[in-house]
Amino acid sequence: MNPAADQPEPNPLREGLSTRSVPQPCAIVIFGATGDLTHRKLIPALYNLAADGDLPPAVTIVGFARRPKTDDEFRGELEESTRQFSRQAVRDEIWKNFAQSVFYHQSEFEDEAGYKSLAKRLDEIDKNHGTRGNRLFYFAAAPDQFEPILKHLKAAGLNETCKGSWARVIVEKPFGSDLTSARELNRIIHNSFSEEQTYRIDHFLGKETAQNILVLRFANAIFAPLWNTHYVDQVQITAAETLGVGTRAGYYEDAGALRDMVQNHLLQLLCLVAMEPPTDLSADSIRDEKVKVVRSLRHWSRKEIATEVVRAQYAKGAINGEPVVGYRQEKNVNPDSQTETFVALRLFIDNWRWADVPIYMRVGKRLPKSATEISIHFKKAPAVLFNKDLRDLNVLVIRIQPDEGISLRIHAKVPGTSFRIEPVKMDFHYGTSFGKASPEAYERLLLDAMSGDATLFARRDEVEQAWAFIDPIEEAWHAKKDVPELFFYPAGSWGPEAADDLLARDGRAWRRL
Amino acid sequence: MPATAEAFSLGLPVEVSKIDQELKKLWQESQGATRASLVNLAVYSEDTGSLNRNTQLMAKMTENHACRAIVIEADCKGKENRVDAWISAHCHVSGAASKQVCSEQISFLLKGSCTTLLPSIVFSHLDSDLPFYLWWQEEFREPMDPQLWTWVDRVIYDSQRWEDFRAQMGLLESAEQEANQRIVLCDLNWTRLDNVRFALAQFFDHPASHHNFAKINKLRIDFAPGYRSTAVLFAGWLAAQLNWQGEKTDVPNKLSFVSPSGSKIDIELRERAGEPIGEVAMATPDVEFLVAHAKCGDLLEISRGKPGEKRMPQLMPAGKNDPVSLMSAELMRGGPHHVYLHAVNRVRDLL
Repeated sequence: MNPAADQPEPNPLREGLSTRSVPQPCAIVIFGATGDLTHRKLIPALYNLAADGDLPPAVTIVGFARRPKTDDEFRGELEESTRQFSRQAVRDEIWKNFAQSVFYHQSEFEDEAGYKSLAKRLDEIDKNHGTRGNRLFYFAAAPDQFEPILKHLKAAGLNETCKGSWARVIVEKPFGSDLTSARELNRIIHNSFSEEQTYRIDHFLGKETAQNILVLRFANAIFAPLWNTHYVDQVQITAAETLGVGTRAGYYEDAGALRDMVQNHLLQLLCLVAMEPPTDLSADSIRDEKVKVVRSLRHWSRKEIATEVVRAQYAKGAINGEPVVGYRQEKNVNPDSQTETFVALRLFIDNWRWADVPIYMRVGKRLPKSATEISIHFKKAPAVLFNKDLRDLNVLVIRIQPDEGISLRIHAKVPGTSFRIEPVKMDFHYGTSFGKASPEAYERLLLDAMSGDATLFARRDEVEQAWAFIDPIEEAWHAKKDVPELFFYPAGSWGPEAADDLLARDGRAWRRL
Repeated sequence: MPATAEAFSLGLPVEVSKIDQELKKLWQESQGATRASLVNLAVYSEDTGSLNRNTQLMAKMTENHACRAIVIEADCKGKENRVDAWISAHCHVSGAASKQVCSEQISFLLKGSCTTLLPSIVFSHLDSDLPFYLWWQEEFREPMDPQLWTWVDRVIYDSQRWEDFRAQMGLLESAEQEANQRIVLCDLNWTRLDNVRFALAQFFDHPASHHNFAKINKLRIDFAPGYRSTAVLFAGWLAAQLNWQGEKTDVPNKLSFVSPSGSKIDIELRERAGEPIGEVAMATPDVEFLVAHAKCGDLLEISRGKPGEKRMPQLMPAGKNDPVSLMSAELMRGGPHHVYLHAVNRVRDLL
């Protein structure tokens, strides 16, 4: 790794034009270029960056995949999918210009010669397109392909660059399936790329509202004194979706909701909510604080897992009035599947700030609505003045998706001669206040990787600590005896009663979404 | 982009003393609409008919910038002394939230000596706790009312229309001093340069290209009739950022600068019909950096290469030169405009 490449001299002509770090010219090599991720997310994101003028002109994209096809065929397929999935309409002249920088490289992932020819092709691209030897390798392939790809990249010398250039690798989730596999994957990656070169993507962190959590907490002095065990009664994090498993059964059957959502997205959100203020906004300062949160999560015994974690699977039911089948009846799902599609957890962060504050998390498929929200429930005000126990708490809600925004529930007097107090909601909607559409998470994250800004990517220790927390739960669920029960809930409900009981025994209830 | 659902003209005529009550009534009647406001945006003009014209601009601008709009037309020479006021709302369906989002507008027509009431009228109708942006569509003139300027957070103007840049800038700087440097000066003539600056800047993002700065010896800027000041401002930007010092020249439309290493940079300003800045060609002895408007209109074609060599141009957004686009670009940004002030200082005498 060349430190100079990571902290380039500032361009004096950029001063005042943009506050974000500037992406560098580079060749982006996508492994798994014919897959869904490339078509639905990566290429539309890169096209949108180009259309908005945020992509440096000297950026080329090389799709690496097995199926034989020409550059033009590849471009044609990408154009079709980009027209379908791009957040803004595709303009012919911009697409034509953008497509000139897109190439296809056909090779088996295990074929050494394919990487040697890739190296040659990238050298040519450097000469013809000014990509200056900078390489960004995007792993959009299945995780079991990572090892051969990495091994061959190294053998072809593509993990190293000449002075002043850089090579980086972006790795998609799932990043391992447990601590052992995550460590193994890290070992494999680090055989070829250093930690500074490795960008583990979690698209939740690229969302505008997730980034706004830091601004909300650290740019508004009013919240800082309240953000602790003295004033916070509980925190709830919900990630609900109406969709079922769809076409992902092959992956989901092995993963389940805990690995698919909690280990990465939800724990990342929790870190942003619970972390201490970082010393600065550099990637490592922020990630240092985030990892402390995961490290402080209370680990449970087998017995405790049965009481603190609820797992469930959707049975047949209805979504928006439409009947839907149960998980076990879905295509490619084992009819006796024990895979959880819903998880609810009661967590504790054993540190000074959060001691004894329960964190309730739930994630599930086929729930009544799709919404990802974090709510901070503040403690009750003393009831002495109004001769009334105020039933509702002050709640600060951070809506991650959809309808991104923030709301605060406060108490107000109902107009009239009597002294009636009712909760009212102050509501901020991104879409209302800022008309401009937010960029897609992948746009932000791709730009950051090109700029060498790893702030919104997970670091090795974050990932491994998260697995260290998740593993005992998975082990308990897959043990031979005393296995915690798998509950069932009708599709279209808010999960099993056991999830409600998790809070009810603390005298609390899930927030109504 | 959200679609405009409804746009009022001047709206409901109201008594000045009852504006707040009438606004309250307006919102009570419009059930289901959300009032949004991020800034107070006052626009001042002395052109006859500007109330209608600016109301139309506000209807467009509020699609992306929710604000309390205060639109003022002043007829300073009017014989009658009177103030007329209207209230209205610009409502749009927000694509993101699928809700009807409305910005309110208060319009004033000031006549005769009532034009001196401007500060009092503005202060009485600001939405509390929100910043105050003043879009001044006239030339500035003495006396600059200190009472008004101490309240302004950002003053927006277009120096392209100014006949005497030095005098106008002098007045603004006095106002800025009165306001203890709090006002941010926002020149739409500078905003007009954003995309071309951005396009030229990106050639030098890689440190390996920085050696070219010291070799620049020629610059050509094509500008449309009426936009010479825009071209000079562009030259001022390069001079300020690359630390070039100006030299006197007697040739019209030629500027000359000296780089920190003592080499000379000749700048040619060419008037050509088309976009305000139609093309910029910056050259070293080895390479030319070219930013030009593409034929399709709203895109820039950028390329680098040896003169005469075949190039592979890339496209970038060009931005538009209409008031709504320029104001939207200006409203999207925050913070001070230090780079603008540095650029102005390099070419103040040439503007």
